[in-house]
Amino acid sequence: MLLCLLWVPFLFSPGLLQAQEEGARTLDALQKKYSGLKDYTVDVNVHFDVEGFKAPDMQAKLYCKPPDKMKIESKRIFFLPKEGGTFNPFMFNKEDFEVKLLERLTYEGRNVVKLKLTPKKRKLNAQDFILTVDTDRHLIREMNTSSFDGREVKALIEYGNFGDFDLPTRIELHLNVQFSESMEIRDFGPSAQPAKRVTGRVDITYSNYKVNSGLSDEIFKERESLVPKGR
Amino acid sequence: MRLFWLEIYKTFSRWRTYIGFGFIALVVLLTEVVMKLSAVEILNRMMRSTQKDFLIFGNVLNGWFVTAFIMNTLHIHIPFLIALVAGDIVSGEATSGTVRFLLIRPPSRVKIIAAKYVATLFYTTGLVIFLGLVCILPGLALFGSGDLIIHHFGKFGVVFIPEVEIPVRMLFAFMAAIWSMTAVASIAFLLSTLVENSIGPIIGTMAVVIVFLVIGNFPFDFFATLKPYLFTTYMVFWQRFLDDPIPWQEIVKSAAILGLHSLGLFFIAFGAYARKDIKS
Repeated sequence: MLLCLLWVPFLFSPGLLQAQEEGARTLDALQKKYSGLKDYTVDVNVHFDVEGFKAPDMQAKLYCKPPDKMKIESKRIFFLPKEGGTFNPFMFNKEDFEVKLLERLTYEGRNVVKLKLTPKKRKLNAQDFILTVDTDRHLIREMNTSSFDGREVKALIEYGNFGDFDLPTRIELHLNVQFSESMEIRDFGPSAQPAKRVTGRVDITYSNYKVNSGLSDEIFKERESLVPKGR
Repeated sequence: MRLFWLEIYKTFSRWRTYIGFGFIALVVLLTEVVMKLSAVEILNRMMRSTQKDFLIFGNVLNGWFVTAFIMNTLHIHIPFLIALVAGDIVSGEATSGTVRFLLIRPPSRVKIIAAKYVATLFYTTGLVIFLGLVCILPGLALFGSGDLIIHHFGKFGVVFIPEVEIPVRMLFAFMAAIWSMTAVASIAFLLSTLVENSIGPIIGTMAVVIVFLVIGNFPFDFFATLKPYLFTTYMVFWQRFLDDPIPWQEIVKSAAILGLHSLGLFFIAFGAYARKDIKS
């Protein structure tokens, strides 16, 4: 108890408060930069270089309407990494996270800050984010996530300018995740193997952006899903 | 050739020949309907691991996937259906009392046994082709087409096969399945030449298949050393056509081993039949 009380003055120290405020301001600036982004459409190509995952490049059209509407259109099966696979500047809302400024540094000759975002609401799949944000251009350059079950994802983001907005042209994801067997094909054979750590890289490239073309909400009502239609 | 058609006529005149076709049609169609009704549950289970890290779009549970799934489930049961006919094809003559009548006629024993063996292989091929048709046609009608995502149980990794490659790969997979089942048919055929009732060869064949499968899959070092010598180890080589890249060397080796088994078993059966005493 005494030990806890000793920490109280530090919690309210001006330096700490200032760092928290600066972190929140950085997130605000990010969202403000994209406040005019009403919707966008983009062609996505995903290239996998992940251990044990043998798949050709996958292509799809991505429809996005910030803050939370997204649709993928693909004639074939399409896998998109959950963490870092899509760009949504509105996902880091300062109301939803405890923001902590970790450090200031330079990244490719630009001023950046490293922020640690911890979800305020602890859900089962909650995870912390560490963002490297370019404070000159208000861009997320790197995103690191780690979850309670040891999944780690690092995203490196490159941008291009489209209709007054800086939008990703390439996201390079580095995965370090746990893979366990499921029941896709089961035969009279060897028993299930224990979960295995899988590392690899996923390159996502974005092209043919159409920004603020006035996408209708109707587009997002019918989600392309795993389950076949007519069921 | 005439003898062969005669054997085919005799085989397909027996009602037990159709048990296999009926069983396959019933089980496969039932499985497909249940899979259709439980699509969400199946998808969630099969993609549980992958869905943690990926958003997945498109028709994953398609006709090709269902075909691969059923083939994996049924390849234990098909040997029994094959043994049902192959185990009876020679011994059935003794049971029905026609063996003497058959062997005192002009065609040599070589021709008779060869005709019976080819008829056995014809039935085996027909049964596996029927399985393929019953899996693929209703499967595609019910679930549609799409790329195939395969995860071989017990092996780490996921294989993604583009839709355009699947028909050819499936064709090769079913040809490999026919080849595997030929070895099973040959065991039943051999046992059928050795005894004078049909139950023994049918049960005997299943006993061999099950014992070999169990031994081959026991997680003990002693049994692991025996595994390469069991023909059942190579019976699932059809699955290799759904790998990426296709391991041709492994496929050729498995096919050769199974082929030698079939050939060897046929020659032993021929030897036994040639010496068969029909006077006592």
